[in-house]
Amino acid sequence: MIKKSLRFRLILSFCLVSIGIWGGSAALSWYESREYVDEFYDTYQLHLARQLSAADWSNIKPGTQARVNTLVEELDDDGEDEDEALGFAVFDKNGKMIFHDDEDGKYFTYNQYASGFVNQPSGHKGKLWRIIWMKTVDNDFTIAVGQELKYRNKAAVEMVEEAVTPWLIGLAIMLLAIILLVNRELNPLKLITRNISKRDADDLSPLKENFAPQEIKPLIVSMNSLFDRISKMISRERSFISDAAHELRSPLTAMKVQLEVAELAYDDKAAHEKALQNLGKGLERASRLVEQLLALSRLEANTQQYQNFDILDWHKAINNEIEEQKSAAKSKKIEIETKIKEPYFLKEGHGLLISLLLRNLLDNAIKYSGEGAKIKIELNDKELIVSNNKVSLDKKNLSRLGERFFRPAGQSVTGSGLGLSIVEKISTLHNCQMTTSLEGDEFSVSITKN
Amino acid sequence: MRILLIEDDRLIGDGLNEGLNRLGFTTDWFQNGADGHEAIYQAPYDAVVLDLGLPDMDGLSILKSWRKDKRKEPVLILTAQGDVDQRVIGLDSGADDYLSKPFALAEVAARLKALIRRRNDRLEPVVSFKNINYYPETKTVENDGKPVVLAPKELMLLEVLLMNRNKVMSKEFLENKLYSWDEEVQSNAVEVHVHHLRKKLGKEIIKTINKIGYVMED
Repeated sequence: MIKKSLRFRLILSFCLVSIGIWGGSAALSWYESREYVDEFYDTYQLHLARQLSAADWSNIKPGTQARVNTLVEELDDDGEDEDEALGFAVFDKNGKMIFHDDEDGKYFTYNQYASGFVNQPSGHKGKLWRIIWMKTVDNDFTIAVGQELKYRNKAAVEMVEEAVTPWLIGLAIMLLAIILLVNRELNPLKLITRNISKRDADDLSPLKENFAPQEIKPLIVSMNSLFDRISKMISRERSFISDAAHELRSPLTAMKVQLEVAELAYDDKAAHEKALQNLGKGLERASRLVEQLLALSRLEANTQQYQNFDILDWHKAINNEIEEQKSAAKSKKIEIETKIKEPYFLKEGHGLLISLLLRNLLDNAIKYSGEGAKIKIELNDKELIVSNNKVSLDKKNLSRLGERFFRPAGQSVTGSGLGLSIVEKISTLHNCQMTTSLEGDEFSVSITKN
Repeated sequence: MRILLIEDDRLIGDGLNEGLNRLGFTTDWFQNGADGHEAIYQAPYDAVVLDLGLPDMDGLSILKSWRKDKRKEPVLILTAQGDVDQRVIGLDSGADDYLSKPFALAEVAARLKALIRRRNDRLEPVVSFKNINYYPETKTVENDGKPVVLAPKELMLLEVLLMNRNKVMSKEFLENKLYSWDEEVQSNAVEVHVHHLRKKLGKEIIKTINKIGYVMED
């Protein structure tokens, strides 16, 4: 969850980077201060050692130390003496301390070979001191001026602290500002989230995009376009369902009424039989309608599914469908003629759907042509044409034929009004196009590659 | 009661036609709007059953055209849509009642009866004339309190005469009320029915007005 929160990650990374930069500059400052302190005190120690080595220590008297101590104590009363942890001592040839500063210096241990700066522990508490060893001019005495290293560290820390503390306050303010800014800048996202989560399932109105920052706009735009597509799909589905329900009302009414007639005519055999026959026709109409509806809704739902096409056996498919509807054609004395010539305009396709397409075309052709008509099925490298003559169709209705549930006026045969919709849909799924035409009393449907 | 039925769907139209006939109505069925629209001017219909979803002519425009011509026949509209809008528009256009598909035959018959009854201002459940009681709801007749069985056409004739008491009804008018276009009518059909009614209910109930027609006179 932490990984997924953009806000948390932004704040965390900003904080880490700021703290890192602050820490780095503090370390650098510490290093520089430490060098500066070393240089400063080394120079100071050297200066003191130089003065001490210029003095004549050969006739120092045993009482001198005590007297100097008293003089210093008297001075201390009103002088500001910062304890810089400096100490010095003077040794004679034999390593015997002959003079010191009465403080830390008296604990220095004689180091016969040392010359220049040496870091060494003092005799008192074993603390580490930096001591400069120097011979006097006459070479009879050795001068040692030292400073506790810990003091130098302390001085450097103080310097760093002085430099870094304001930064630290700045850093805290900056982090606070980062948190507030990140929160504020991510607000549009929060608003969108709230807007979407509060929505009703059927509220697909677009989100407002005018106040959204540039980075979020594409998201809103694409979500709005998704909303748009979903709402179009839903309204398509709704109109399909309402059309379907509407269409089912007629056969249902017919069945209901015919059933009542059958009951009323219980003592009239002929009328009773006729009503039952009509009831059967109504049932047939309703079941055909449901069948076609299901086929169409499946076709509309699964546009993605029909991608793996097979090599089509047109010859077999056409002959199968003719065989299926032979008796229907025969009863109307309709002749079916086929003209199949390879290569075909459509080589690959979904076998079952192509059968459904042929079935609907043939079914329509038989249903809507008059007695003794002729149906022609032509297939070649350009198109598939199914045409039939002796058709009574008004030219003005031609363009509406592919519409769902559209049936021209005065139809006596049962039909769902979905046949050509199904043919059109299957054509589209195969990247093909359906066109209808009417010449005289000959109606034809042609399928061509897009 | 003669009904004008305009319905394009073959199965529904056939069922209504057949069923209403069996329920004691006389029906003329037209499968397209143009013919149905004309038919109302040709015969004395008691009521009209009009499907709104006609292929050639909108049912509503037929209805409006009738009302514009001051045709007052009660009209029962049949709608396929379940939505309120179409019913409201239908009623506003002059329809007297509506039914949404799918409906039952019995419902159509009951509504037609109610419409005709309302049109004739005859709300009483029983019509009495001399020693005869007629119950329109059940279409039964009593003579001196004893039930009498009448043939459908006799019943219709009695109904027409009862509803138009003290008015002389011509033979042609009665013929048109009793028979649809499809039925073959013998020239003396009305006389025959009158004869049967007199036999069953008493000689004096229907008076013959020479060369004009018949009347039931108080």
